[in-house]
Amino acid sequence: MSLPCGIRNYSYATDTAIIRTKTQWTLFIVFLLIVFTFPFYFPRFWLDVMNLIGITTIAIIGLNILVGYCGQLSIGHAGFMAVGAYTTAILAGSYHMPFLLALLLSGVSAGLIGLLFGIPSMRVKGFYLAITTIAAQFIIIWVANHWTDVTRGSMGLGVEAASIGPLIFDTEASQFFLIISITVLCVLFATNLARSRIGRAFIAVRDNDLAAKVMGINVFAFKLLAFFLGCFFAGIAGSLFAQWRGHITPEDFTFSQSILYIGILIIGGLGTSIGPIIGTVFIRLLEQCVTLLAPLVERSLPGIPSGFATGLSPMIFGLIMVLFLVLEPKGLAHRWNLFKASYRMWPFSY
Amino acid sequence: MKKHRTFTAIILVTVAAFVFTFAAGCASQTPAGKLDSQKQLKIGCSICFTGTAAEKGQPIGQGELDAWKYINDELGGVDGNKIEIVWYDTGYNAAIATTNVKKLMDDGCLFFTIVSSYDATASKEAANKAGFPALVIFSSPSLTNPPAHIYSQLPDYGDDWAAFTNYYLKNIWKGPGKPKMALEILSNSTGYGVRDAAKVAAADLGVDIVTIEEHKTTTLSETDALTRIKEKNPDILFIGSTPAPTSVILKNAYQLKLIPGMTVACGHAGFTKALIDLSGKQISNDVYGVFPTVNWGDNVPGMAKMDEYCKKLHPQYVGNNDYLCGWSASLINAEIIRQALKNSTLDVLTSGDSVAWKAGEEKGFRMVKGYDVEGLHGPVDFSDPVDRRGSKSVKIFQIQQGEMVPLTGWVDAPYIKYE
Amino acid sequence: MEQLLQYTITGLAVGMIYALIALGFALIWKSSRVANLALGQLVLISSWFTYGILVQAHFPVWAGMIMTILFAIFLGWAIERFTLRPLIGQPTLSLIAVTLGLGYFLEGIVIVVWPISVAKLPVLFPQDPINIGSAVISQEYVWAAGISLALFILLSLFFKFHKMGIAMRAAADDQLAIQACAVPINRIFSLSWIFACIVAATGGVLISSIGGITSALIETGFKSFSVVILGGMDSFIGCMVAGPLIGLCENIGAGYLTSIIGPGIKDLIPFVIIILVMLFKPYGLFGEERIERI
Repeated sequence: MSLPCGIRNYSYATDTAIIRTKTQWTLFIVFLLIVFTFPFYFPRFWLDVMNLIGITTIAIIGLNILVGYCGQLSIGHAGFMAVGAYTTAILAGSYHMPFLLALLLSGVSAGLIGLLFGIPSMRVKGFYLAITTIAAQFIIIWVANHWTDVTRGSMGLGVEAASIGPLIFDTEASQFFLIISITVLCVLFATNLARSRIGRAFIAVRDNDLAAKVMGINVFAFKLLAFFLGCFFAGIAGSLFAQWRGHITPEDFTFSQSILYIGILIIGGLGTSIGPIIGTVFIRLLEQCVTLLAPLVERSLPGIPSGFATGLSPMIFGLIMVLFLVLEPKGLAHRWNLFKASYRMWPFSY
Repeated sequence: MKKHRTFTAIILVTVAAFVFTFAAGCASQTPAGKLDSQKQLKIGCSICFTGTAAEKGQPIGQGELDAWKYINDELGGVDGNKIEIVWYDTGYNAAIATTNVKKLMDDGCLFFTIVSSYDATASKEAANKAGFPALVIFSSPSLTNPPAHIYSQLPDYGDDWAAFTNYYLKNIWKGPGKPKMALEILSNSTGYGVRDAAKVAAADLGVDIVTIEEHKTTTLSETDALTRIKEKNPDILFIGSTPAPTSVILKNAYQLKLIPGMTVACGHAGFTKALIDLSGKQISNDVYGVFPTVNWGDNVPGMAKMDEYCKKLHPQYVGNNDYLCGWSASLINAEIIRQALKNSTLDVLTSGDSVAWKAGEEKGFRMVKGYDVEGLHGPVDFSDPVDRRGSKSVKIFQIQQGEMVPLTGWVDAPYIKYE
Repeated sequence: MEQLLQYTITGLAVGMIYALIALGFALIWKSSRVANLALGQLVLISSWFTYGILVQAHFPVWAGMIMTILFAIFLGWAIERFTLRPLIGQPTLSLIAVTLGLGYFLEGIVIVVWPISVAKLPVLFPQDPINIGSAVISQEYVWAAGISLALFILLSLFFKFHKMGIAMRAAADDQLAIQACAVPINRIFSLSWIFACIVAATGGVLISSIGGITSALIETGFKSFSVVILGGMDSFIGCMVAGPLIGLCENIGAGYLTSIIGPGIKDLIPFVIIILVMLFKPYGLFGEERIERI
């Protein structure tokens, strides 16, 4: 369906490939090449922003599996990220575990905690389920604040720079390679997951869980799996966040962040593989742009009342969010698909 | 179709805006519109103008920026060098606070200031890793322990507690044995700073911490916590919080008749004009407070200028001691630059990378000895090898008829060793 | 025993205030299935507006209250007209995200118009404490509790007996069906937002007369989520029961558990209770159980 005219599939393998035409391959490779050369011409700050985008993308991919594909609303994603971040900080910090192993274990630990809070999904749905995830958020942060023997409470834990063998990722540029590589892997994994039996089962559960049950899908098991996978990604993101930041405290993972993550996902587009990426890039860049804007406004318009420039940032941020949603309620991914379609069909769009 | 077009238009405008700010962001790395020969010193400010802590960030941040206006416009800069101020709002958002540090590094700042302990905690590691020195205005013990490249302007929240405890033992406590103390703290670094200090130093100073209660910034009633505190019958209640929750706690303490009778002390984050505004005139002599600066309107050399600028530029903050903290932060910055210029060269300081930061720290920060901040707060000294607190002194205040009346001169807060 | 009485009374009073905020949430949910994430910001902006009218413009209290209500009505109408109406018929989650953006926008407005950061409303209620047995409570809380109870009764009566109220309930049930019955759905949504804003404004004034106006009010809005969900999202009576219930659990639970588990347990108790409730009553205490068909 999403193929240009005149291309046919002659084998099952070509039919199921994600990237199918030569043009797509070229574009994909060129895109990756461009992305991976960013460190050579971007200053520290933008690299850091891109690292943050990469980390957030991974978290949102997890949220997308949970909310977008499986339809289980979670407003506690920052909490699950905290689990991953603390696992890395403790394992890599106190036990000097190699980074990759700590990364994986962070994912698993966050996944297991997610599983625990996913149990009410057996009976609860929609917004009623959201409360258990909100509870997860608050309980996890409370534990991080009060289990001071392990987490050192508000003092926080220092995290050493990640290293794989002789490679040490302690500069913005090297972190960029690490984070973006893992992000690409996560995107691939999630994209393929969504097309697999599991992904289709998730969608069935989301669309109508009763019907899914009738069709022989173990609804509860798949909901739990969605919780595990979604939180696994959150854990990975948290782990990368910890080593990106170098220091974590319970206050890094706030409830308002969890809510923002939901916002990012919705703006990007639920249940699509490109949505989380577009949404994250959009919101994170917007966030930075409004931050840069406030001093710019004050400098270029001397004499404006105090508070105007600073208040402008959240105002514009909110306004653009509202405008985009009003004009594109199906998410930016939908617009992206329209764009692709019109490009493919051009110049005969009928 | 119309909707389609509007959408495309908005996308284009947004993208244009992105590109514009991006370009502006990159452009500000090189001094735009300035002669290359005229090198400009840059100082960064990371301020939480918006977000949950805007109640603190606004007055402090505006105080900082106003002081720079004063230094640049009226004094002609520091030793004839005008200082360019690069400021960004953190929105009390940990992620933005972190990336702001990198932006300030890219912008070629010599060092930077952070307003809140929350933002500072987020910025800490990025700054320490790069050796990019920072001055934190309101800090908590976790920032300066272990010592690295973060300096605190004022004694931290833990020091408040220690200084008051010392004062209490010397001047108020009459009974035999150890006084019993209860802590009612905010559940974030503001409050936990007090808790951490109390855990480490209570035994040494000679008080018993009988109970610790926590509250949130949103609290509407602390009657339950105070009921439990009442049961333990402590001699002192120490509140480590911001003005709004502190006023709720005080109000409830009156209702429960804890006051008059028990000594109540507030840490400096909560002990401002806002506290008195919020709690009304009913506060009696039992409420003490710790604050690291002089009162607004006191007769000290720096007061007149600050008052003048505040009335002119931000009249809503007149009388707000937070503004005073921000103002004095910039005076200290100017002093650091003065020292740096004296001990290093402008070329090095404007080179805008780790060489400049190192010079800024070693030739600037560390050379500041006994600077009086025009009398606005205790003398600032950054030369101690481990103690990263600039001013180590606080004043003990008492609320008398709705006014904060200083009871002491500068009292030194003991240096607490963590771990 | 003395303490128990104190905990109970404080818990009930504070809980009623939670319930009031939660009511604003339930109003919108009940008629349009939108979770209003900008609730805290609505509370914040109306508190500041009241401050502007009473303190900055020196209006008398009664006139200030009327103007606050008018402002809330305008706010509710404007929000619905400009952000939510264009989204009618779109996925609900998009509507929820719009309220998130709206929250940022309102927060920005507050900072632009009132860059004061923290302020106190003039004293609206007598502050002398009342003694009930050995327990003591400030009159402010009693007033706040009374007002939220009154608002709750008014709203319930409206939804029960007024034609528009019945139409609003119907709209929540089936938007298509009600449009087919020639009920103007736009007006219903508009009205529900207006009501919600009035409730939020009332809540804002009550809360900030107790604790002052700070940006922390935004988080107070979040607190209502737990109340609403515990009560059942579409139930007023649920809010009115769940609010005090959460207040009680917080106070009594914290009263006896703090010494065992540690400080700060107060903030955790409501959530633990909610999870337990969810396991046994998945639709909240008073939520409507939906019978599903394939």
